[in-house]
Amino acid sequence: MPNPLQDEVKKSPYEKMLQECLRGELRVVNAGLPQSQKRLATLLNEKYPHVVCNDGSTHLFKKSELEYLASMIDTDEQKALPLPMLIELGANQAEAAIICEGKVEEKVISKALNMPVTCEERRIRIYKPQLALLRRKFKTTTVYIFSPKIVA
Amino acid sequence: MPGLIKVRPTKIELVKLKRRLALAQRVQKIVKDRLSILTMEFLQTARDTLEAKRKLLDESSKLYKALSIAAGYHGYIAMEKELIATEADLKVTAGLRNIAGVRIPSFELMGNGKPMRGYNLVDTTSWLDRAAQLSEECLRAIVELAELQRNFELLAMEINRTKRITNALEYIVIPGLQVTINYLNMKFEERDREEKARLKRVKVLVARG
Repeated sequence: MPNPLQDEVKKSPYEKMLQECLRGELRVVNAGLPQSQKRLATLLNEKYPHVVCNDGSTHLFKKSELEYLASMIDTDEQKALPLPMLIELGANQAEAAIICEGKVEEKVISKALNMPVTCEERRIRIYKPQLALLRRKFKTTTVYIFSPKIVA
Repeated sequence: MPGLIKVRPTKIELVKLKRRLALAQRVQKIVKDRLSILTMEFLQTARDTLEAKRKLLDESSKLYKALSIAAGYHGYIAMEKELIATEADLKVTAGLRNIAGVRIPSFELMGNGKPMRGYNLVDTTSWLDRAAQLSEECLRAIVELAELQRNFELLAMEINRTKRITNALEYIVIPGLQVTINYLNMKFEERDREEKARLKRVKVLVARG
């Protein structure tokens, strides 16, 4: 499939610079994404709970945060909760979406924000003030995704 | 005032400029999103830093008071003798995490499994217990503040850098492209009008015979 971004570059230094800027920004913002998520139960048993990121670096979780998460849910749910939770930034700057696999994320977010939330199309939509609150509670257990959708 | 980009007034150049504009707007969108996230995190970190500093100051003043009272009760020499036994290795886990492309440090004071206080409970008063407890809390506050302070600096630096890119795109690159596209459009319209006028003139001349 032809890449429209590639086609646009016709060796013009100006376009090359813009192209590099776009690529660089996308690479930088998504460098912290985990290669794979780990379950809360697994992380609780690790001495240094961490995941490996796309750029090869490690993302360290705070034990206190994991324990706080564990206190919110039961043992079975701990085995089902993937971490870090991914926060997708949408085209609409006023809201963000938390990517969720099952009901357990819904429960955690609902308890953390102290309000009911619903999962639609595998996304829990929240507004910026709620996002700030969520990030305050889960600093290391959430990461941002800059989706390619918003770039288009 | 953004200047015109020097290009040949051809249709191909116009198409190229339009593509460049679309690309620049896409870059601007990402950079702006990133800036808004970084600003949000920065403000949160600033609030947390302030809170942590206040907490550290409170704990320190309480600790000083408790230590003074304990020292007054036991005497410095006796208290120091007791406190030698409380020495323990501290363990701080340090790692990195990523906030929208900024790698920031993360510190956590680890408990070493055994209580930090190792002095004789029979020979000492509750004031020493209080001082020991407060010193542990102080230590936690210091580690937390160290993390927040560094995060604060790194986020501020990144916001500055991102702002420069956003401003360059918003005030120089994109307006320059838009002005040039408008200029080329006007030039082509003018050419069309000239062409029409010329054709009309030729038609008149041909009709005259």
